[in-house]
Amino acid sequence: MFSLTSPVKSPYHNVPPGPKFFLLMVASITLFLIGNIYLQAAALAFVLGLYLLPGGTFFKEGLRMLWPLWPFVGIVFLWHAFTHDILPGLIIILRMISAVALANLVTMTSQLDEVIALVTRVVTPFRRFGLRPQILALSIAMFIRFLPVLIEKGGLLVQSWRSRSTRPAGWRVVVPLALLALDDADTVAEALRARGGIEPDKI
Amino acid sequence: MGQLISNNGRVSIQGVSLVKSGHAILNEITLDLSTPRIGFVGRNGSGKSTLARVVCGLIKPDQGRVLVDDIDIFKNRRKALSKIGILFQNPDHQIIFPTVLEEMSFGLTQQGYSKDAVRQMVAEALAQFGKAAWSNRSISTLSQGQRHLVCLMSVLAMQPAVIVLDEPFTGLDRPITRQLTQILEDIDQTILHISHDLEALCTYDRVIWLERGTVQMDGAPQAVLPAYSAAMDAIGGQDVFADITG
Amino acid sequence: MEKNIVIIALFAALIAALGLVPKFTLASGIPITAQSMGIMLCGTVLGSRRGAKAVLLFLLLVAIGLPLLAGGRGGLGVFGTPWAGFLFGFPFAAFAAGLIMERWRSDNIPLVAGCAAAGGGIGALYLIAVPYYMMATSSGLDQALFTAMLPFMPGDILKAILAGYITAGLAKARPDSLLSRA
Repeated sequence: MFSLTSPVKSPYHNVPPGPKFFLLMVASITLFLIGNIYLQAAALAFVLGLYLLPGGTFFKEGLRMLWPLWPFVGIVFLWHAFTHDILPGLIIILRMISAVALANLVTMTSQLDEVIALVTRVVTPFRRFGLRPQILALSIAMFIRFLPVLIEKGGLLVQSWRSRSTRPAGWRVVVPLALLALDDADTVAEALRARGGIEPDKI
Repeated sequence: MGQLISNNGRVSIQGVSLVKSGHAILNEITLDLSTPRIGFVGRNGSGKSTLARVVCGLIKPDQGRVLVDDIDIFKNRRKALSKIGILFQNPDHQIIFPTVLEEMSFGLTQQGYSKDAVRQMVAEALAQFGKAAWSNRSISTLSQGQRHLVCLMSVLAMQPAVIVLDEPFTGLDRPITRQLTQILEDIDQTILHISHDLEALCTYDRVIWLERGTVQMDGAPQAVLPAYSAAMDAIGGQDVFADITG
Repeated sequence: MEKNIVIIALFAALIAALGLVPKFTLASGIPITAQSMGIMLCGTVLGSRRGAKAVLLFLLLVAIGLPLLAGGRGGLGVFGTPWAGFLFGFPFAAFAAGLIMERWRSDNIPLVAGCAAAGGGIGALYLIAVPYYMMATSSGLDQALFTAMLPFMPGDILKAILAGYITAGLAKARPDSLLSRA
């Protein structure tokens, strides 16, 4: 299962995820407090500068990750053009791009296992609420293990459909896929139990 | 079985190539398949399953084309459905609907037959196999072998000229496999059968050995199967856990 | 106990799979993602609590950087748009859908599941997504409705109906598969 971490090395890769997430939170809140268009433009320029630091390949990768924003930009622009209220619209758009770009930067420069470790650490104090770090780690591992399996089975069901119909495969294939997921759940639960199971929390 | 229309279709694979992530999965395959029973053997990863899907029009080749009875099965999907059908390994990855009737009706409805005609054709198909009582059975009440049969009946009901079998008997016990093999022996359609079960292919008209996307050997089963078998035994003597695709 | 944890993980994977299976679409030609339908299904099939947990696990995995959203999107960035209210609302949507499914004990599964899917996936979801949009853009209700509700409503109505059919299909194929009705 591949993640969105960038293979292009940057100085940011060496910073542990914890501080990066914290800085991101601070930066995002700051962005939301700024109502001045020039400051927003400067912020965006700064963020883009952060992307340029590791080089052209990294920068282009970052731009590619921002591309899916275009419909959102379009909708906001349309509304504000329609109501002759361009300036607030521009502020929203600039702020959005900066916030998303900063968040993407953290994602692109953090290794998956480091982030999972961070999450399990953060979750530890919530143990009393029933959320145990080991269970979370196990759930994540199971998800990553079974996602490709489900995608493959879904793909086979879609092929079964397409071998008998010229129409695109629709909602109908979700039923057998969900059943396969339920069956897989039974099998995996059995395997877990066979390996000792998950012990109830001893308080 | 005499009521099934005599339907011996002809498959023409013309210069089919397919590349994925830099690897040539299929390498300019050209085959003219017109005998009723043709087997395909090869290691996992040799491209057999991919070829099966290309031949059925489910995957588009990067180069080349496939004609079944002169119909380009990728360009003309509509007609292709009536020409070629496929049976996969696992009926649980193939059956979409909850009841036998719905599953068998699906392809026919998509071909454009009226509701009454579909009901009629499904009833006939079930009767031919002596399974008229299965009509309203829920798939979940059927055994693996029975599910395989449902898939087979669903494909046959569409009366294709060619049927592709992609290792459809994997995991079934011997008696069921023999029963299903017996059923397949009697049908008129051309069968392209991918199998690891060499015994099943020894009565076939032609066997093709696929290796890393190219045809390694092509001829009578008496010639190809022993050569293939020997080669597999030789590989078995080596370290099979080394990277196969390297 | 193990069963619960596993089923939650698998349905979280199912939500992701619905957006990643090749050549699978809900409406041909129109780019509607099936993932919000997956959210509804978590509620209608797993019930309120398990459904919500499955969705939370899914969101966590998106957040840590897996490209699970339709189009291969993921990471923290997807939480940075004014439409992130939808993402934050997803667990509530599943919870609400599950609750309706659990409480309304009619045998007409397609109807109940469809209404549950709509109640959760549209009602509860927009109740969170629209105000979030207003907050994030300091805009009025009219703008929020136009930019955060209008583009998605028709697709979501279709998805709720389909979720009803799918839930009914599951119940028909295997009656004890509906954990929301166990």
